[in-house]
Amino acid sequence: MDAVLIIQSLISGIMMGMVYALLGVGFSLTWGVMHVIHISHAAFGLIGAYLSYSLLQYCGVDPVVSAAVSVPLLFITACGLYQLLIRPITRAQNIVMASMILTFGLAIILENIMALIWKADPRVLTPTYSSGALIAGPFYFQYPHLVGFGLSVLGITAIYLFLKKTYTGMAVRAAWQQPEAAQLYGVNLYRISMITFALAVSTAGAGGISLALLNSFEPHSHNLWLIYLFLVVIVGGVGNVIGTALAGLIIGVITGLSMAFLPFQWVNLVTFGLLMIFLIFRPHGLIKQEGM
Amino acid sequence: MNKAYPVALAILVILLAAFPCIGPEVYYLSFMFSVFMYVILASSWNFIGGYGGYLSFGHAAFFGIGAFATAKLATMLQLPPMLTMLASIPAGGIAALVALIVGYPCLKIRGPYFSVVTLCFAFVVDLAVKNIEFLGGAEGLWLKFMDIPEKTSRTIMYEVMLLLMVVTLAVSWFLGRSRFGTGLTAIRSDEEVAETMAIPTAKLKIQAFVLSAFFPGVAGGLFAYYLGYIHADAVFSINISILIVLMAMFGGGGTWLGPIIGAVILTVVNEGLSTFAQAEIARIIYGALFIVVTIFMPNGIMDFFRKKGGKT
Amino acid sequence: MKENRIKDFSMFLITAVLCGLMLMTPAAGFGAGKTIVIGGSLPLTGAYAETGQWIEKGMRFWADEINTKGGLLGRPVEFKIYDDQSDVGKAVTFAEKVITVDKADLLFGGYPGTAARAVMPVAEKHKYVYVSMGGHMKSFLQGYTYSFGAPPLMGEWWYEGFFQWLATVPAEKRPQKAAVYTINNPVGLSLIDSIDRWTKKLNIKIVINEKYNAPLADATALIVKAKQSQCDILFANGFFPDGVTMMKAAKALDYNPKAIVQGIGSVVPAWVKELGKDGDYVFSGTVLSGQLKYPGNDKLNAYVKKTYNLNEYPLYFGFGYAWMQTLEQAVTGAKTLEQTKIRDWLKKNEVNTIAGSLTFDERGLPAPINFGTQLINGKVELISPKNIQTREPVYPKPAWEK
Repeated sequence: MDAVLIIQSLISGIMMGMVYALLGVGFSLTWGVMHVIHISHAAFGLIGAYLSYSLLQYCGVDPVVSAAVSVPLLFITACGLYQLLIRPITRAQNIVMASMILTFGLAIILENIMALIWKADPRVLTPTYSSGALIAGPFYFQYPHLVGFGLSVLGITAIYLFLKKTYTGMAVRAAWQQPEAAQLYGVNLYRISMITFALAVSTAGAGGISLALLNSFEPHSHNLWLIYLFLVVIVGGVGNVIGTALAGLIIGVITGLSMAFLPFQWVNLVTFGLLMIFLIFRPHGLIKQEGM
Repeated sequence: MNKAYPVALAILVILLAAFPCIGPEVYYLSFMFSVFMYVILASSWNFIGGYGGYLSFGHAAFFGIGAFATAKLATMLQLPPMLTMLASIPAGGIAALVALIVGYPCLKIRGPYFSVVTLCFAFVVDLAVKNIEFLGGAEGLWLKFMDIPEKTSRTIMYEVMLLLMVVTLAVSWFLGRSRFGTGLTAIRSDEEVAETMAIPTAKLKIQAFVLSAFFPGVAGGLFAYYLGYIHADAVFSINISILIVLMAMFGGGGTWLGPIIGAVILTVVNEGLSTFAQAEIARIIYGALFIVVTIFMPNGIMDFFRKKGGKT
Repeated sequence: MKENRIKDFSMFLITAVLCGLMLMTPAAGFGAGKTIVIGGSLPLTGAYAETGQWIEKGMRFWADEINTKGGLLGRPVEFKIYDDQSDVGKAVTFAEKVITVDKADLLFGGYPGTAARAVMPVAEKHKYVYVSMGGHMKSFLQGYTYSFGAPPLMGEWWYEGFFQWLATVPAEKRPQKAAVYTINNPVGLSLIDSIDRWTKKLNIKIVINEKYNAPLADATALIVKAKQSQCDILFANGFFPDGVTMMKAAKALDYNPKAIVQGIGSVVPAWVKELGKDGDYVFSGTVLSGQLKYPGNDKLNAYVKKTYNLNEYPLYFGFGYAWMQTLEQAVTGAKTLEQTKIRDWLKKNEVNTIAGSLTFDERGLPAPINFGTQLINGKVELISPKNIQTREPVYPKPAWEK
């Protein structure tokens, strides 16, 4: 087995894994902080992808730039959706279950609205650099992968710093770790939840754009994306930002290595099989410690 | 009143069993067949998911295993079509056996982690079937069909599925009232406490899991026979796994009636919508149903009516 | 507790009654009068929505046309199209609904191949003629007598045209080593058939022969392997998403074989529209083309130009139209809506479609039809056989445009 193949395969695996991580990090937060399993998370990612597709197609705006438009847009939309849909179900006995059913419905609605607006045809995000690559010796770094990777690292770092350094971020963490105490200190749980939810949805948008740089997408693609983000989040540990990023790396490494060593037919099977075994032996994800 | 209850149920079952006698069109038999099938899937998922609180996201795996095992048995043993239907019983056994093997390590994991392990498991099985020719292969398998009028064969399938549903529901009903069920419910509310109360949690969980795999396995065998041609994408689809969970939770998990209500409503509404509305609009209405029901009945339909019943 | 049980039970009854009511609702008033109802299901939402919608458009174009001409057997035609949500089980149930409840006069063909494979036995059991693309060769070997591929989408034939052309290339200029990547599903597996036959004949060595399961998240390793083994022809036997991933990786890694042959991903309009220049020079096959001189093609092209601003009608639009043409001629020829008579007519007579004249054998298949294609400057050019060639193929493939 030669080194070029292994390393090249690892490079693209890791870049891909980080993109999954960005898509997953918000999912992880809503789950951890609000106990809401947000099934339509990936569908919002897909909206981000479609928005940047349209902006690129009709206004020639680069996807990275259009992220600056669609991310805030998704943030505002998500605030509204939180008030309208998520807040009413916080009184359910089992928020996890209720939120799953509700957001499953939301995902179906979003998928079909996208199908009505953008039609069912598959789309490919093709900025000018879409099929170029940075060549370093025998290795190729595909530009779209690089941009997606960069966007992901940026997004995850931003979320991390927000939680660690800002007052609101600390309130989010407090609300999650000790909801009662946080309330006593004057933290408005609903407001915190709304911000968490909106933030999560906007990172999904950015993640969707990054993923759209790697693969083609259709209105139903979010079902597939959801599976990957589920994996990233669980392997990383629910609510764990750093864990999610690490999980993205690990999934990327597993995929990259199995692509290099195994017949391709077995890659997906081995990936899922290894993750299953991993979870059996580390049932709390990578990092057991609660918190960040 | 307590006596009237089983009697009324028996009458309902007899009415359902007699339904083919009024000479409905084949489609109605097939549609009811699929309703029964989803009731079986949701109710048996409920053994482990509803009562035990272990949300399996890979239950389509057992359904698919049953389907492929039946088709495989039929072709390997050259079974005549009628016997093929019986082959779905050992196929259910195979599904249960797989559940036993997989359940042993997986049931040690709790909460969302269990859900994701089962999700991965469903993918592994799906891909294994596609990749390994012996298990079915990516081409799919054809089954011979019965050499009798279509209506007769669909009637037989209808009755067999009804019988399977009645058995599943009887088990589910019994579970809700037995010590076994009580033990499972204790596990759901707090597994540590249940252990200190000397409830053999590990044993109960694995029993419930195996039982909840058996019925979907048999149903899968019948479904394979209903389709006549099965492909891994048709039986292992993640959508089926998710639909099973939603049906059970939609009606109200942990009760024997909840999954029935969920399965019946969702199947009927979905079918009705595709008949009366334009494709995307139909899906949007279907999606809205989940939202509306959750907002107004956040604890499931069953709970909502229980509370209403309690107030009046 | 008692109260609860009463509630439980009443809930149960209500559900049962509702269920019964829904079932008994007569399927809206049609089938009445003189309309000919053509029913079936298509994947209008879900994974195969794009293709399903193109088929529907093709069918509807046919219906408008025939209705303005005065209808079929003098009666107007009407569709009853259900959305099977890309679910094979639903496709079967809806086929039964169309046949037994809606009592449709005719059945139309579905998509994808797996759905067609499952609906073919239903049609057979109910004795309904089923004109569709079928589910590749295996589905036509099951002994069904009511199923017709008119024309079929036959993976086994898909590359015939391409290979026939390749055989005309002088041996020293032909590719020597092939990399074959195949999606692990019925379409992919049936595509391998012609590759096996022809590479032996043309003395091309298959160096890499691998399958992959959808989704193909990343194609880097596939391309690196092909490049390292110096394969000078790449067979990408797959759909749109994996096809795109592979093309993008090939360009980014600067892998430029003499020829790239793509399965059925490059036949959808999105390929040209989304990939632009990067999608160029890909070889594939087809059974239908707006550039063929068969009657009707100009009309279809004009329609899609006007309505969808496409230069040529998409393959699946053509399929929807051609299946309907076949049914139309069979019904007109048999002068009846009796299914068995329609079938017998089809077995004995010739139909003229936008894919040419077709006569069917025992299996319900016409003689193998296939045309080699190549995308050149965003246009599908026919390259083989010689008599229909619209352009000399570009071979070897030029370097990637930076």
